[in-house]
Amino acid sequence: MTVLDNRVVTEPSDKEAADPRDPQVRLAALLDEGSIRLITPEDRSGVLAAMGRVEGVPVVVFCSDARVQGGAMGSEGCEHIVHAYDVAVRERVPVIGVWHSGGARLAEGVESLHAVGRVFAAMTRASGVVPQLSVVVGPAAGGAAYGPALTDIVILADEGRIFVTGPDVVRSVTGEQIDMAALGGPEPHSKRSGVVHVVAKTETDAYVQARRLAVLLGHQGRIRTEVDEVDFSDLLPESARRAYDVKPLVKGLLDEPGVELHPKWAPNIVTTLGRLGGRTVGVIANNPMRLGGCLDAASAEKAARFVRMCDAFGVPLVVLVDVPGYLPGVGQEHDGVVRRGAKLLHAFAEASVPRVTLVTRKAYGGAYIAMNSRSLGATKVFAWPTTQIAVMGAVAAVRILKRRELAAAPEEERAALETKLAEEHEILAGGLDRAIELGVVDEVIKPEETRGAIARVLAQATPARGAHGNIPL
Amino acid sequence: MAEVRAEMVANVWKVLVAEGDSVEDGDTLVILESMKMEIPVLAEDDGVVAQLKVAEGDVIQEGDLIAVIE
Repeated sequence: MTVLDNRVVTEPSDKEAADPRDPQVRLAALLDEGSIRLITPEDRSGVLAAMGRVEGVPVVVFCSDARVQGGAMGSEGCEHIVHAYDVAVRERVPVIGVWHSGGARLAEGVESLHAVGRVFAAMTRASGVVPQLSVVVGPAAGGAAYGPALTDIVILADEGRIFVTGPDVVRSVTGEQIDMAALGGPEPHSKRSGVVHVVAKTETDAYVQARRLAVLLGHQGRIRTEVDEVDFSDLLPESARRAYDVKPLVKGLLDEPGVELHPKWAPNIVTTLGRLGGRTVGVIANNPMRLGGCLDAASAEKAARFVRMCDAFGVPLVVLVDVPGYLPGVGQEHDGVVRRGAKLLHAFAEASVPRVTLVTRKAYGGAYIAMNSRSLGATKVFAWPTTQIAVMGAVAAVRILKRRELAAAPEEERAALETKLAEEHEILAGGLDRAIELGVVDEVIKPEETRGAIARVLAQATPARGAHGNIPL
Repeated sequence: MAEVRAEMVANVWKVLVAEGDSVEDGDTLVILESMKMEIPVLAEDDGVVAQLKVAEGDVIQEGDLIAVIE
């Protein structure tokens, strides 16, 4: 079950000039060779659905037929999608939708709207029951935009476009001049909107990514505790203030590079699906390289949705913490950092899956709590030896707690006093030793024994799965 | 043309590029200091630094223009 990227997608040789928009061609590129079995008739409904396999894992798939009215969704095509969902839920297998559709069929009027709504209802019923992936390979507008948006993971090919209303309507209503790519292509959706989880270089690459994710979610495997160790000692910079990229840690923790979701949106937190000891895990990591690793409204929301998705499908979580706090600022407060930040608290506190926290360098304030702390129900909390855990940094703390004392001191002595008070405060507040005494950190581990320590906890934990859907937070 | 704007309130601690420099996606342009952390500001496109709007020691607000990459 490896070498996915080298998979050769065979072109159909018998049909010389096969239409690349033919759903049979698209589904054949997505599925294992020869595994496709249609579950709806080849008709003019605009949708074709099938069962098949990816790396041997059974899946249900459906695809817009962009050759018929631009893939527009009529009542018959929508019934096909609902049927595909019924089969996927009955068989308990992942469902992958391939989208290239202008939305509801205009000619059918309200009947098509009713049908599209039935698709949304079927998707929502299946939410958290079976993994749902969407691959958007062409324009997906209106109802065809909200279809993928309701699913767990959205993959966008280079020619994929997602928007509620296209450039013409935008121009006539708001006067804004914009083309399809700038409105709903890979650039805006990867960096700004958070609509798309994975941007693919080509349509073929989009299918490769969908296959990898379907196997990760559909065939999670059993964890082995004999894992090779990786020495992460050199990862942290000498200065505790210095930024570094957390991605090498995420990569080194996994058996092989995983699939990072939302890599460019809210990059101050990293969310990656991969395998540890052969078992699928979800890794969540603060990235000090971006915004100092602070949590903010967008990153909390991104992580919360990832936590809930993993919990819904029984994927254990590994949480790598190096966080200076929630990001302060007027923009953040007005952006709803309180409301959106609360989603992450809720997601972790609600989660049933085994979830291990490793504090690598520091965990301060409200963000300490939010990053799967003991109080929120972490299965195990590890820390590397140099970790600091506190409400805030010692200097910042004494500037508040000892404000009067500092102000009363002569100016030339103030810096020395501040240092002395900060040292005293650290002894009093306790840092890591106090955290262990309180039981909020279970164990200090060395960077070079990290993989095994985490794998053993996950192997011993009782498997569990949250009983909830995965609302697109 | 890509504008690089501050994502948070911060002090400008170090400026690593000058106008006219060529930069690549991922290069560090300036290092800010905030939340007691050094926070690098990265180029998100390849190009040339057409404008540089900050100097070391400046205090910048969220949304302030730091540089323009062309």
